[in-house]
Amino acid sequence: MGVTGSVLELCNLTRRVGDGTPARAIIDNFSYSFGSARLYSIIGPSGAGKSSLLRLLNRLDECTDGSVKFKGRDTREFAPCELRQRVGYLFQTPHLFDRTVRDNIVYAQPHLSESKISCLIQQVQLPSGIVDAPVDNLSVGERQRVALARLLATQPEVALLDEPTAALDPANTEAIERLISSVVTDHGVTVVMVSHSRQQVVRLGGEAILMVDGKLIEHGDAVQLVKNPGTPQGRRYMNGEPQ
Amino acid sequence: MTTPGITQVLLAGIMVVIAIAVARYWRLPVIKDMAFGSVRGFVQLVAVGYAVRFIFDIESPWLIMLALGIMMTVGAHAAAGRVKNVKGSFGISLAAILTGSLITLATMLVFKIISFDARYIIPLAGMIIGNSMNASALVIDRLASDLRGNRLAIETALALGKSWREASQQFHRDAARTGMVAMLNFLKTVGIVALPGAMTGMILAGADPVEAVLLQVIVVYMLLSATTITSVVAVELTIRRFFTRYHQLRTNL
Repeated sequence: MGVTGSVLELCNLTRRVGDGTPARAIIDNFSYSFGSARLYSIIGPSGAGKSSLLRLLNRLDECTDGSVKFKGRDTREFAPCELRQRVGYLFQTPHLFDRTVRDNIVYAQPHLSESKISCLIQQVQLPSGIVDAPVDNLSVGERQRVALARLLATQPEVALLDEPTAALDPANTEAIERLISSVVTDHGVTVVMVSHSRQQVVRLGGEAILMVDGKLIEHGDAVQLVKNPGTPQGRRYMNGEPQ
Repeated sequence: MTTPGITQVLLAGIMVVIAIAVARYWRLPVIKDMAFGSVRGFVQLVAVGYAVRFIFDIESPWLIMLALGIMMTVGAHAAAGRVKNVKGSFGISLAAILTGSLITLATMLVFKIISFDARYIIPLAGMIIGNSMNASALVIDRLASDLRGNRLAIETALALGKSWREASQQFHRDAARTGMVAMLNFLKTVGIVALPGAMTGMILAGADPVEAVLLQVIVVYMLLSATTITSVVAVELTIRRFFTRYHQLRTNL
């Protein structure tokens, strides 16, 4: 797993919401660099702004101040549709369009070849016969894999995953975690994942980023940060104490 | 039939009394609305009758235009009042009703289907604006409700690189159809189940039924055109309120 330069660079990123004076900052002066082909887990208490941060990275939401650079260029210089294919996003509860597995996989890439579709189905460890099945008949775990295959079909350079295993049982969680690791190591995709599980962050390794109240509190090696946090807020979070 | 006078109108009030008695027996919570609505309807219609008679007598194009402007503004205000929580719904309704009505009326005038005469313009515009008002309110309400209720589906499409138009296209089509559905249903049953108002009015006034039918066909085509244009304009203007220029679904919907 080679680290080569920064793929996403956040500089004083801030998002304020609401009509208050001043408006409340849900992302507060956040600066960080995400390296290429690496796995990052964003952790922190509920309401810390983890999902809000993810939404700024592919411009599903607009920042109020600061900037995000993708491969050295401000994301505002990209056409939003192009940026979002290169910086993919998987929602916590993925929405599948009410059709077949194939229709969902080719949704963003209508000219995808049959062999590529089969390859994606295999990559997310779904049985090959499932490709023409209606999505209504799928289990929660299978739906998550279809959504992941659909995301990978766009060949993103960065994958933003918002708690991808939150609704899954342990067996499916383990399978999706293996898949996430393989996306990083075998396909060179940078994965930025929101997680609520400290155990999961340790299992997956890579880097971890602790957020509280929209601010970056600390970051570093995932195992180190979970087991031996370097800040009082980090220790409180890891001990399950209120912030 | 006796030509209606004030005596006949007062006698027709017996039917309102019957309706109120039925509602009272069934304890329907609409008695106040029925009584107030019947009186208000009488006053409004009588006032309109005198106003239209005045416009017919003066025969001024400016007065006709003024009347159309007032009718469209009131129609847009009523349509906006039926829509919940959509910023700018009055402006959207006014633009949609104005476009649908003016294109339809202009087509009828250019092709000399009608002449620029208050006797034609005012009643036909009344029908057009009334139908366009309903279409506009239904379209805005349906679209806003669908966009709010399908946030995840829309953002999933946006996150996969689709444009706002692609991400919401199912919802614009559904909303536009909602605005037209009353007219489409009417077309299916016209003449078989329902005898439409314009035709019935002419027959009651003593006109030849075939002539009445021909006028009714014109009215139906006119309303089809107006509701379609109004619906499409209402969709186009409403949808833009919900997305930013960067293909983001607004969070403060």
